[in-house]
Amino acid sequence: MSERQPIDRRAQVIRAFTLLGGVYFFLYFILPETAAESLGIKARHEAISNGFIVIGAMAVGLGLFNLVSAHGSRIAFARKGWAYSLALLVGLFSMLAVTAAQWRQSLGITAEARKAQIVGEFAQRIVQDAESHAAAPALAVRAAALRAYADGLLDQIGATLLVGPPAETPLGIELRAAAASLRGSLPRLEAVPGESLSPEGKGALTDVGRAGELLSAALGAFLRQESSSTMVQQLYTLLYEGLFNQLGSAMFALLGVYIAAAAFRAFRIRTVESALMMAAALIVMLGQISLGQLISDELPAMRQWLLEVPNSAAFRAIRLGASVAALMLAIRMWLSIESGSFSSRKR
Amino acid sequence: MGGLEHATPGILLTIACAAVILFVQLRRATRRGDHFIRRIAGVDAVEGAIGRCAEMGRPVAFTTALTDVGPVLYACLGVLHSVAKRVAQYKLKLVVPQYSPEAMAIVEDSVRDAYNDAGRGAAFDPQSIVFLSSEQFAFASGYMGLIHREKAGAAFLFGVFAAEALVLAEAGQQVGARQVAASVSPEQVAFFICTCDYTLIGEELFAASAYLSREPVQVATLAAQDRVKLLFAAIIVVGVLLATLGALAPGITLPSIERFFTASWSDLL
Repeated sequence: MSERQPIDRRAQVIRAFTLLGGVYFFLYFILPETAAESLGIKARHEAISNGFIVIGAMAVGLGLFNLVSAHGSRIAFARKGWAYSLALLVGLFSMLAVTAAQWRQSLGITAEARKAQIVGEFAQRIVQDAESHAAAPALAVRAAALRAYADGLLDQIGATLLVGPPAETPLGIELRAAAASLRGSLPRLEAVPGESLSPEGKGALTDVGRAGELLSAALGAFLRQESSSTMVQQLYTLLYEGLFNQLGSAMFALLGVYIAAAAFRAFRIRTVESALMMAAALIVMLGQISLGQLISDELPAMRQWLLEVPNSAAFRAIRLGASVAALMLAIRMWLSIESGSFSSRKR
Repeated sequence: MGGLEHATPGILLTIACAAVILFVQLRRATRRGDHFIRRIAGVDAVEGAIGRCAEMGRPVAFTTALTDVGPVLYACLGVLHSVAKRVAQYKLKLVVPQYSPEAMAIVEDSVRDAYNDAGRGAAFDPQSIVFLSSEQFAFASGYMGLIHREKAGAAFLFGVFAAEALVLAEAGQQVGARQVAASVSPEQVAFFICTCDYTLIGEELFAASAYLSREPVQVATLAAQDRVKLLFAAIIVVGVLLATLGALAPGITLPSIERFFTASWSDLL
């Protein structure tokens, strides 16, 4: 009697999800655009794609866990290089804490700017509802509510933000002007009638809407300027722009040195191929600089030919081969036709 | 094909042809298994590099660099599985620095399987799969530090690379590691040729796994991709001939290959 293989439920679930996900994206790809639109898939596609991105983003937690466990254990057991691990974890948690605080601060700014944005959106909505005859409270009631909300917001801005030295900065003056513009447009809302929308009423609502959008932009800019002097923002700027970006640039700058070292090794002529490469490199380098033109007028044209003809042909051949191979592997992976390529588990 | 959201009938037909060729080759390989794979020096060097590490008692490093979850990662995993299995058999240390946390989970699973296959599952150390950073140059500096501290005897650089390619390869050079690189990024191939002992170019990365494992499904895929490439070469030749004829004799109306691929469903109906 033959022994029955245990069923690998985990592998089955993975294969089922791979197949279903693949079916969706494949169908979306092969469907004509008009068919995707009429079936309503096009409208939902972005949300579905974002869902997959969100699932992928969850893996960041795995990376974080790996970092903490690998470097934490090295510090705990005082293994070789523990000081590097300590520096890494201190950097990681400092950056996490400062970024979280900065993110929270920017959320607050967005929420404040949103209050002014609501004025613009509410005004637009009143116009849209009136034009489409949607079921909504009377126009005059909604216009009065809009005016009351905008008045309250302007009073709050005037009392809390447009006082003291920050109000005299260019962005403070801009905010004051935007607030004055909105305040000036509000009395025109009285022209909005109770029943149907008149051209004057529409004009008044449109002006209030525009003034609300301007105020939102000015308020956001002013609050961002205000927050730049806070400790959180200064720490964030120091860590991100002062350290992280600069260290990244330093690593990139190392490339210059490495290219010289690699070129020295590559340009030692030992074979016919390396001689050809050396000759091509010389032509390309000399053709790029003005000295090349002094040597020969033909050098820039030769350089261009080398880049556009043999170089492009080789690039395209490599890309075509790799793309075909990726297509084959993608079909194989989609249909789970695997029997031990990167794992020898029985499939 | 960047930016193409919906397939045109021509592209759909081409994909269908590719799928049919793949299934025919899979059927042939599983029944007869008679495909020949030419020798790839770079893949042969993988074994040699691991052997060198065993002699010198130095660790083996394998990175998939900027490769995210996708066909290229799976091609790399085929090689990683073979490398990890050999490393486990020789009782060596393996370091797999990671850039993408998504890929890391899959890589860890693959290395664990390789150790189990070698009968040394208990020797697998999850901390050998090291997440460095998802930032390109932070990853590069982390890799450099790791290679220098561990004094890797062999470094395998397989996958997708960008400007950090030379930084990674130079780090291996500095510690005298035997290096084998494989990239689908043509811009980085020149850097690898300069700094690595062996370089696999483009699709050779996909062939490496089949070459190492000789597993029928993978060998069949390799055979199928060669045939699909032949199909594309034929289309290119026909396209060039038609375009040349069209230029020489403007009065004659000839079918257009470009139109075959770009015409949408509404153009046809």
